[in-house]
Amino acid sequence: MSKILYEKYKLSSFGKNYTAEVYLKNPDKYRQLEKDSLKAECLISRGAGYSYVAASFGKEALSLSMKNFNRILYFSEKEKLITVEAGMTIIELLNFTLGFRMWIAQIPGYPFISIGGAVASNVHGKSAELHGTIKNAIKNILIFHKDHGWLNLSDDENKNIFDLTIGGYGLTGTIVSVTLKLIDFEGFNFQTSINKTNSITKTVNFIKNNKEKKNLIYSWNRVDSNLKNFGDGLIFCTKTNSQHKEKNLNMPKSDKLRFLGNFPYFCLWNKLSVKTFNYFFLNYYNYLKKSVYNDNFSNVIFPVVGKEFYFSLFGNKSFIESQILISYEKVESFIDDFKNLINFHKPIITLFSVKGMSGEHRYLRFEGNMICLTFDVVNNQKNLNFINELDKLYIRYDVVPSLIKDSRLKKEVFDKCYKFANEFRKDLRNFDNKRSYRSELSDRLDL
Amino acid sequence: MSYLILGASSGLGKELAYILAKNSNDLIIISRDERDLKAIKSDLEIKFEITVKYFSVDVSSFDETKKFLYSNLNLLSQIQGILFPVGMMETKDEVLNDMSVSNSLIQANMGAVAYFLSKIFPIFMEKNKGIIVGFGSVSSTIGRDVNAVYAASKRGLESLFETLAISALPSKLKIQFYTIGYLDTNLSYGKKLLLPKGSAKKLAKIVYKNLDKNYRKIYYPSWWAIIVFIIKILPFSLIRYIYKFL
Repeated sequence: MSKILYEKYKLSSFGKNYTAEVYLKNPDKYRQLEKDSLKAECLISRGAGYSYVAASFGKEALSLSMKNFNRILYFSEKEKLITVEAGMTIIELLNFTLGFRMWIAQIPGYPFISIGGAVASNVHGKSAELHGTIKNAIKNILIFHKDHGWLNLSDDENKNIFDLTIGGYGLTGTIVSVTLKLIDFEGFNFQTSINKTNSITKTVNFIKNNKEKKNLIYSWNRVDSNLKNFGDGLIFCTKTNSQHKEKNLNMPKSDKLRFLGNFPYFCLWNKLSVKTFNYFFLNYYNYLKKSVYNDNFSNVIFPVVGKEFYFSLFGNKSFIESQILISYEKVESFIDDFKNLINFHKPIITLFSVKGMSGEHRYLRFEGNMICLTFDVVNNQKNLNFINELDKLYIRYDVVPSLIKDSRLKKEVFDKCYKFANEFRKDLRNFDNKRSYRSELSDRLDL
Repeated sequence: MSYLILGASSGLGKELAYILAKNSNDLIIISRDERDLKAIKSDLEIKFEITVKYFSVDVSSFDETKKFLYSNLNLLSQIQGILFPVGMMETKDEVLNDMSVSNSLIQANMGAVAYFLSKIFPIFMEKNKGIIVGFGSVSSTIGRDVNAVYAASKRGLESLFETLAISALPSKLKIQFYTIGYLDTNLSYGKKLLLPKGSAKKLAKIVYKNLDKNYRKIYYPSWWAIIVFIIKILPFSLIRYIYKFL
């Protein structure tokens, strides 16, 4: 009879820029989680596996999937608290809490991301300016560390590890459960108004000047490689529509078949297709869509859902996303230099978006009272040259690039852009001098 | 309605607990792992507004099983149905097993079910109603060199359920027995298997749908019925000969 062999799994980051064959364990009991962790020399926890970078696996590390830990451990409507296991997805959490007209407002754009993953990467949502990152919603965290065992983390207990864990990319141990502070949910329906813009600087100023209005504001701007119509775009301002009472969540049910895998094999994003898409997208909103329209919860909070073909069209070549925080004062001259680089390298930028951000930047956490710029490029040598040159601008303008988005970010750039990088390394080693929890991301950045 | 599930903390047992809870049934869940039982209890009670009682019992121990049954007999008289998705495997399970290993395997896979049945069956017979569901394994079809005692216990369990079905003939008891192939549970996770895995969630749905049916012996995934049939009609001497080449 054939012997039972353990399989190695081929895991890829969502951006497909890093692939490795790793041992993947899928515990479904607490004692199994302990056993698997203790046996592994080096490991990292894995949530839903939607990170753009390889944060949940690495060549030498055991990947510990938390998908079976998806239960609600505590809920108090009165205290507005919920404790959930790390493998619970954002959509599972919302499906429950919205029934009580409560939620956390720091919701990332894709609903199938796990709570553990969201905490480990300190996610933010479309309302980042208003609500900040998920850090603001966390009351306490329970982790399991192979050397330190079970640890409760909060502002009152193990505060230093609590601080290292939020946005710590799973390097302090396995996040097992999280207690979240819920807030009242104002309404299930939204009203979106569209403002036209013809420059990125004007877009930034619009966001800056409308900070206080409690709207969700983000933009879509054209960044064609020939710089024609550079910055033309739309600013979406969404607010709760209290007049429209109908409960219309239209929540996505399953993430199956939303991505087309390696189909098409070739990248269909090129100068012509980007230009054509931008032209139609802009004119659809200019001429066919009303300037003020009602919108449902899912469209506003999860804008990516239903538009996954966008990622599929990158084919096998995949894409690189760069999301950066830059101070309002420096953004104008940064955009001028950014334009010069585009003029020189002619990269294919498929998407460019702007939104506000708030909070305090510390350790590896992507937050601060700054403006957030996001753009995607096709992964090819020409675009890599462009984005590598852009790194120099990041350093010059004290930009904070997102670690969970940019899969090619080098240690040298990270060290210069993250002023708390060495402090994080030092504090992490004080806690875990063996550095047992490691991933491709942590190895690349020497964390 | 309330059901008792023996082995409810993971895999098929957990799925059965969820489908029963979703359909507003109170539950008594038993397994070895108190922390997991506690987590399942919270989750089910919060999501489905039912009552869940849990007991941490290591059914691979005769003494623990006996102690539980004697101190909770009143509990058994309150339930409408009992499900046994319980099982235990050892990485190394062969003829040369240490006696304590074999004893635990026999106890967890068959013995504990027999003891529970000895207490619940008379209660159900007296009431002339009740549901009993057992779960065997395709590995029990034929003797093998891996999971030896596990497979033997599961074969014994199948025989026990056949006896039960005959004993319950004059009554309105509903008895079902499922022979299960590979499932997508943690027991098979990451293992290279010759045939595809079935979904534990789907099986739980089938079990729930069949709860009020008369005696049934069901293979899941269903194509295992053909494989088992072929193996059973082959002479053992031929199978032994084939083994030589594997």
